[in-house]
Order: sequence, then structure tokens, then C-alpha cells
Amino acid sequence: MNVQAGRIFGFLGPNGAGKTTAIRMLMNIIMPDTGSILFDGSDKRPAPHLIGYLPEERGLYQKISVFETLQYFAHLRNVQAADQKIINMLERFDLVSRKQSKVNELSKGNQQKLQFINTILHDPQYIVLDEPFSGLDPVNQLLLKEILEEMKQAGKTIIFSSHQMDQVEKLCDDVALINKGHMVTSGTLSEIMSSQTNRQLQVTPVSELDLNHKYFLTRNAEIRSGSAFIQIGDENKQQLISEINALIDIRSIRVAEPGLEDIFIQLVTGADQ
Amino acid sequence: MSFLKIAWFEYRRRIRSKWFIIGTFGMPFLILAISLGTGYLAGSGAGLETKHYGLIDETSYFGEKLQSALSERYAERDIAPLDIAVSNGTFVELRAQYEDLVVEKVLDGYFVIPEDFSLNPNLRNYSRSSSTLKSADVIESELKDLLIEDRVARHDLPETIIADLWFDLDVIFYEIGSGEERENEALIADYVAPFIFMFLLFLGIFTGGQLLLRAVLEERSSRVIEVLLSTVSYNDLMGGKILGLGMLGLTQSTIYLGAVILAGSYFDLSILTPTITILYFTYFILGYLFYAGIYIGVGALFDSEQEAQQAIQIITFIAIIPMVLWTLVIENPNSALVNILSYVPPVTPFFMMIKIAVGETTVFQVATTIMLMLACVYGSIHLAAKIFRTGILMYGKRITLPEIVRWLSA
Repeated sequence: MNVQAGRIFGFLGPNGAGKTTAIRMLMNIIMPDTGSILFDGSDKRPAPHLIGYLPEERGLYQKISVFETLQYFAHLRNVQAADQKIINMLERFDLVSRKQSKVNELSKGNQQKLQFINTILHDPQYIVLDEPFSGLDPVNQLLLKEILEEMKQAGKTIIFSSHQMDQVEKLCDDVALINKGHMVTSGTLSEIMSSQTNRQLQVTPVSELDLNHKYFLTRNAEIRSGSAFIQIGDENKQQLISEINALIDIRSIRVAEPGLEDIFIQLVTGADQ
Repeated sequence: MSFLKIAWFEYRRRIRSKWFIIGTFGMPFLILAISLGTGYLAGSGAGLETKHYGLIDETSYFGEKLQSALSERYAERDIAPLDIAVSNGTFVELRAQYEDLVVEKVLDGYFVIPEDFSLNPNLRNYSRSSSTLKSADVIESELKDLLIEDRVARHDLPETIIADLWFDLDVIFYEIGSGEERENEALIADYVAPFIFMFLLFLGIFTGGQLLLRAVLEERSSRVIEVLLSTVSYNDLMGGKILGLGMLGLTQSTIYLGAVILAGSYFDLSILTPTITILYFTYFILGYLFYAGIYIGVGALFDSEQEAQQAIQIITFIAIIPMVLWTLVIENPNSALVNILSYVPPVTPFFMMIKIAVGETTVFQVATTIMLMLACVYGSIHLAAKIFRTGILMYGKRITLPEIVRWLSA
């Protein structure tokens, strides 16, 4: 698996696939039994202040204030003018009024925002995020995306794992999918999307009675929402459309491209089988 | 230098905690209040009840004398601890009547002064339970005095000789060297001070240890450990925690030692000598580091505080041994048992502290116990580091003993 500098890398896999374990190895928290992790071709891990890590669950002291939490970690990472940077970040995430609140007094979403601030406060070069959108409302998800885009523009390398495929689709340049500790696929998002052969033709007849047409039966079409979905694979779609038009009175016909979620399900199911 | 930052963070956040302040400053007041309160209760007679006994006096002489001696003995008390009802007669005549009274719980028991008591001084007691023992002691002592008085009187000695025979004996204590007479306060302080030092050592070491356990469990259960370990090394994290919370225990101990010095100066006593102070802090550091390894190791193995506390109970139980045996150590500081226990690492600091405070130890013992503790501290911290490194990230998994053995031997 190769993560390119200055890009956003989506790390995907079903529950228990080994994403968090791989991330912990990347963070030098646990050692791999086999294999190696190289940064810019070297097996020497970058200094801690160059890495920002957001773990999957919590990762915050519950009984100290928001400000003290950020101050402590900033201090550990040798952040200069930390107090001002903390205030700026809290303002951006609309948390400045809660700076003296204890962490356990914050909502789950606000705790996630605090955790994210803690991850990027020291302006790291490598950012590793395990489920960063967890617990965030749509407004804050948008804010997080905005910031990740900004960081990408600034040349940072971002790796994140997520179950939210729509977020991955919108944000990532590159993607890797693992299952049961093994790589299933990896590459640029566009490569993966286009490499999939499970394209479908969505056919909506004028009369719903035509959904029982023997053509759909012979093609094993999936009937739902007043349409028939036919797997087309590598077939010539123009030829197919002409064929259907000749047989059935059609209201509309279109090629339905699979989303990342469909690809994810297909690949994981395929890998399991 | 990350471990210093971690140490400062751990120290700072806890020293400002209201529970630490209440615990540290409240504890001496609590101990004082309990001592004064129990002293007052004991003196006031609250909780006491009068025990009622029958007395069959076959001599028809000692019973009444005993009754008046007891009245005199308890004249200044609101409640007399024991009361006797005397019947002159024989055991054979009165036995059935007294047995009934005891069975009906009118009496707690009864005594019999046999007819030949003057020549053969034996007192018989019949009672339901062993709660009579203390009363029997008092009655025995009073009757002994009465019997001596009676025997002296039978010799027809002059009053002056009789008065001369009854005297109180006092032991007067002097300082070696100065030859100055020692005050009662100094004698009590000499006896109690070793216990106080041992107790403060115990309090400081286990306060630090408990905080260490909670700190590890807190970071483990809140997953802060992952963020920390992505920033600092295992050794820095563990070292910082041990240092920070050790400083906290040391602060607490210093406050208590200060209180001891103040209390001593109030009574014009110099309890804390420079040697004791240096050795106190030496054994504190060694004892704390030894237990720190154990507490950190246990903290890294469990998800919940409840499970961790259960596991640590056995350690605390061992450490309580000096609290139970302190009088033995003060009174027999050089007995074989005490000397052996002084070389058992979990209790070495506590036993040595008592021995040092009593002044009954040698340079050889101090040097060898310090070396022993240094070796044990190395072992404890070294093994704790192995467990910490492996166990700290194993959330939700019940770790078995063979696994721990495998990590330790790795």
C-alpha cells in the first residue's frame, strides 16, 4: 500500500478488517509481526510533532478543561505560542465559549471536534484520522471537510478510515480496501470506480406490467421502484438499448454507475466468498 | 524530556484537585478527631454497662469487704463497670438459686469465696460467657489486696510497719549521657513516633500507588493512551507518571512530617532528627518505586477499576503486616523475626523505618536493605515496563496468567 504525499488517502474495510490495527502500527503504538512501514522511503518514524493522530474512540481526559487538554498536548509536542493557536482553533470550531468546560461536559460531537483540534493543533505533516466524522452533525462534517481540503492544499498527507462512503467519495484522492487483514484493492478513487464491471442499465417501461416481460426474466433483472435493473458488464450498451427498445415500450433508460458503497459491498462479499 | 512534562502535568492536575487537598489536610484532623472522640467516649463511660454478679461468701468476711473496696474503686465513675450482690452462706445451699438467676439473665454470673479462702486463696466463677474475664481480674486484684491486709493484720504488726508495707513504686527514666530526667511526653513520643513514621511512609507510598493505578486505568479506558503513545515513548509515559505521582506522595509526606515537627516542638520534643529524615525519604522513594511497578503493571492489565482493585488487594494485604506488627518491632527490634522481615522487600521500608526510629539498627542493615530495595526496584520497574508495553492496548480482552508469564520472559 502506497500513500502519496499531499493527497487524501481513504482507508476502508468492514468491521474487524484490521484498519485500526494497521493505523496503530503506522503510529508506532504496536509493532507489526511482518512487513514494514516506510516514511519517504525510510523506516525511521518521523518526529512526533510531524504526526497528528485521531483515534477511533474518545482519546481525551474527561475531567480536565478543554483548554488544559489542548495545552498539555501542545506542550508535549513543543508547539510555540500554543495558547493563541488554541484560541484560534476553538474559535474556528465554535468551541471558544466552552474552553473552561470539562471535557465530559461536552456533547459527543463537541468532544470529536476537540479531538480533531488536538490532532492538528501542532500543524503536523502527516495526519492520521480513524473515523473522523463519527458523531459530527452535517454542519460540522462540512467544516471538517473544508479543513481537510485546506490541509491538502497546504501539502499535508492525510490518511483516514471511515465507514461513511459518501465522505470518502467526496474527499479522497486514493483509496485502499482491506478485509480480514488482507488488501482487497487500492488505487486512485477514479481508477477503482471505473475498474468495476458491475454497471447496470436502469430500464423504466411505460407500463409497469412490462416489468414482467420475459426479456427481464431471461436477463435476471432486479425489479424495484418501477424499474428493471440489468447487469451489463462489458456488453455494448448501445446495442442493448436498441434491443430493449425494439421489444418494450420504454419511458426512460440509463446507465447506473455503482457508488463506492456498492463497490465496497461487492468487493468485501467477493473476498469473503 | 517528555517524561518531565508528563510528570508535571500529573502532579499539577492532582495537587489542585479538591479531594487531594481535603484528603491531605483533612486526614490529620480526622485522626485527631477520632483519637479525641474515642478517648472522650472511653472516659465518659458511654457504651459501658454495669455487669451484675452474685457472690457466695462462705467466709462471711471477705464479701462485704470486697463490696466496699469496689465502691471505693468506682466512686468517681458515673457508671460502675461491675456490681456484686453478696450472700453469706454455702455454695451447696445457694447454688440452685444463683444458677436460676444466671439462666434468667438477672446476673451475668456469680463468684464463690470458699470457706478456706484465707489459707487456700482460690476464687470460683460460674458464668454464661467469657465477658466475665475482665471483671474476674478486677475482683481477683481487689481480693488479693484484702487478703494481704488480712494476713498482715493477723501478725499483729504496728500501724507504722503496716503503713510502711504499702507503697507505690515508680520507675524514673533518664537520658543516657546527659543524665536528664525524661518527661512522660518524651517517653510516649519515643514509643509512638516510630509508628507515626511507618504510618506516614505507608500513607505516602500507597497514596502515590493508588493514584498511579487510577491514572493508568483512566488513560486506558478513555483511550488517551493511544494519543499519548503516538506522541511520546512508553518509557517516557511510564516514567513521567511514576515521577509525577511520586512527587505528590512526597509532598503529602512532607506536609505530614512538618505537622509532626510542629507537634513535637509544641511539647518541646525533637522527634525528627536529620538522619531519620534522610532515611525516611530514602525508604519512601525506594518503597514507592517498588510498589509503583506493581501498580502500573496491574493497571495495564485491567479495564475496570473494580477488577484492578481486587487484584491489588493481595498486595495491600501484605503491606499491612507492619501495621499489625508495629508494637512487636518497637519492643523487639532485633528479634530474629523482625530482622528476617526487614529483608522481605514488600515490607522492608516499613520495618526499617520503625527500627531506625527506635534507634535499633546498624549501618550494615541500612546499607544492605537499601541495596536489596534498589535491586527489587529495578526488577519491579523492568517487569512493569514489559507488562505496560504489551497489556496497555489490549482493551476488553481478559489477560491470562500464562500470557503475562510469556510477556515477562520475552
